[in-house]
Amino acid sequence: MAACMKRLDRAMLSIRLLRNIQLHNERSLSTSLHRLALDGEQPSKFTPPVKPVIIDKTQSVASLRKFLSPEFVPPRQRTNPAKFSMERRDMVRRRKVLHIPEFYVGSILAVTMTDPHSAGKNNRFVGICIQRGGRGLGATFVLRNIIDNQGVEICYEMYSPRVQQIEVLKLEKRLDDNLMYLRDALPEYCTVDPDMKPHPFSTTGEVPVNKIKVKMLPKPWSKRWERPKFDVKGIRFDLCLSPEQMEHAQKWAQPWLEYDMLKEYDTSKLEEDIYTEIQQEAATK
Amino acid sequence: MALLPHLAKACHVLRVDVTSLSQRSAFSVSAVAAAIQKMTRVRVVDNSPLGNTPHHRAPRVIHVYTKNGIGKVGDKVMLAIKGQKKKALIVGHKMPGNRMTPRFDSNNVVLIEDNGNPTGTRIRVPVPTHLRKMEGDYSKLLAIASTFV
Amino acid sequence: MAAWASRLLLLRAPCWAALRTGGASESPVLALGCVRTLNGTTWFEEHLTEDNQKYMKKSISEEYRRQTAEKLNPLKDEPWPRHEWTEGSRRVGLVAVKLGMVPVWTKSGERHVVTMIQVQDCHVVKCLSKEEFDGHTAALLVGGKNVSPFHRSEETMEMFRIAGVPPKQKVTTFKVSDNALIKPGTPLYAAHFRPGQYVDITAKTIGKGFQGVMKRYGFKGQPASHGSTKTHRRPGGSGPGDPAKVFKGKKMPGQMGNYFDTAHGLKVWRVNTKANVLYVHGSVPGHRNCLLKVRDTILPRRSASLLHPPFPTFFSEEEGDLAEDLYDQDMFVHTEPSLTLD
Repeated sequence: MAACMKRLDRAMLSIRLLRNIQLHNERSLSTSLHRLALDGEQPSKFTPPVKPVIIDKTQSVASLRKFLSPEFVPPRQRTNPAKFSMERRDMVRRRKVLHIPEFYVGSILAVTMTDPHSAGKNNRFVGICIQRGGRGLGATFVLRNIIDNQGVEICYEMYSPRVQQIEVLKLEKRLDDNLMYLRDALPEYCTVDPDMKPHPFSTTGEVPVNKIKVKMLPKPWSKRWERPKFDVKGIRFDLCLSPEQMEHAQKWAQPWLEYDMLKEYDTSKLEEDIYTEIQQEAATK
Repeated sequence: MALLPHLAKACHVLRVDVTSLSQRSAFSVSAVAAAIQKMTRVRVVDNSPLGNTPHHRAPRVIHVYTKNGIGKVGDKVMLAIKGQKKKALIVGHKMPGNRMTPRFDSNNVVLIEDNGNPTGTRIRVPVPTHLRKMEGDYSKLLAIASTFV
Repeated sequence: MAAWASRLLLLRAPCWAALRTGGASESPVLALGCVRTLNGTTWFEEHLTEDNQKYMKKSISEEYRRQTAEKLNPLKDEPWPRHEWTEGSRRVGLVAVKLGMVPVWTKSGERHVVTMIQVQDCHVVKCLSKEEFDGHTAALLVGGKNVSPFHRSEETMEMFRIAGVPPKQKVTTFKVSDNALIKPGTPLYAAHFRPGQYVDITAKTIGKGFQGVMKRYGFKGQPASHGSTKTHRRPGGSGPGDPAKVFKGKKMPGQMGNYFDTAHGLKVWRVNTKANVLYVHGSVPGHRNCLLKVRDTILPRRSASLLHPPFPTFFSEEEGDLAEDLYDQDMFVHTEPSLTLD
């Protein structure tokens, strides 16, 4: 079954490759202008490179799909929008220097940071992204890995000048937007080889969703993940909890919350505006 | 052909599982999520015989040598381990520290003698690099560390 | 009530027009002695047609813009004599709006949080000489953030009319030395302060109401159980028995917050001259979007950072080609490459 899936996947990949090659001609026309404006600079996130979109096995290429990093969307509050736009300008400035790729919770990343205490003055950490937090310049993400049977997590500041490089080794999503439950899962689920080679990923189309469901360690857990407020989909509850326990957890359900109109926050229009604003900003030198 | 690595992985998992299970006690105990203070159960991560022979009672912190009684990475503590009093150095804790510094899944300590020399000859888990800030005091300890994060 | 309010507003509108033309202060509204206590239930566009609303908004904004534009070159029309900066001179400050907090990083990779403060339409409104103020020092009245001309008393409007600036939401007094007096109507900008210097910020703290000692002063309270009855969050004893009195200043329950507080000696990390935004170290009293009073610090050691500030203030036509962003020398600028420590 697994082998069959693999073959199918490969077939899909080759189809995608073909499509990319066809698309390439028209794209090169549109992006050549950007390239002229940006010569001598590293390819920043929002200016797709003109290089033919052949999937490069050694290096991750910038994504071509329309993606807005979640920290650009301002929180819903009564702050002057000018504050957020000034913050965004700084973020784009930083992104012109440091390439922050597109990634999601569940992707495997490698971060190189300057470390004044480390031997080589540089510190590279590979791990699975289990959480993204913060808005604006204070955005963070948490990487988790298991080294020598010891779970290690590092919370990185995305816009800190100490971050030197962020690589995506495997681009995928998971069933949940927060994978903190991996702390209580079997260690195999967050063990990543530190010398992992980057997996090729397509730069267009949908991001693959890894529908894996994890097995948990025996209770007690750090949180009661079966409670409805976490809304976890990626745990095999049938292995660790009885149906009565699952039923009991529903006692804390708050089904009325989804009808709370005061909590509605539709950001689709806002995201659209911010996306165009950032594109313009990134295009200007 | 795809089965072989899978099997190997499963074996690995089994091993990890067994070790972690042996650390967990059979009954439910309160989670250790705060910083290290008095009566915190800790994990000795060096290869000293004292810290590695199993005992019916987990090593406990009975004193923290700081002004506020809360131990972070690099602080000295007094342990009650196998009925003895022994000094130790914290090399990692569950409570998140500053951003860009590692957070560990267990409260790790390394046994030291009264003069500051480590008892063991190897540290089995990664050690945070910001322990090097106090390099002059603990250079022997840093020398026996196997990996840094 | 609604009809009455509408008539009042309609009467007020021509009054406003009359005021603009420099008309006399006698107006039918004043004669009515308009006492409107319920400000929250009606607003000015409520009983106006849509066209009238548009017209009002347009005319007011145009008027404000014209008044501000007139003042853009205060050095051109009969400027007041200017003096040199001397040790011990006291400059004017600014009225600014708190925007929110963001992180900044230093060149050694440390992270600090700063408060963004925006200077919106800040003008000198009135100048009080030594005799007029208190006999000891001269003072300047500075206003910030343009607001609607309605709901202002006639005396206040008179003050703004004389200065030739739109009415302001907040007007504060700054004690200044005699050589730092500025002509009323002069606009003040964020570039009045420079990166690296230290400022004091005064604002009204967030009100918390009448609070007990546990919240107000962090007392420990008493045990929740073990036989204690009706004494869980109370202060306990209020002093020894021998003096037979409670000493002055004893910490007691009372109003918490909603009073003026000053944060002293905050470093200015960055000044954005285009958007008029100051990045000030740490937190600042008051809620988001509240109006603050910013001035040079009075701390004697930190005042040394103020060597040659723009004196008496920053005039845009003098140093017109100021960079958009002024940074402190220790601050990491996002256009630089990532840090490599060696």
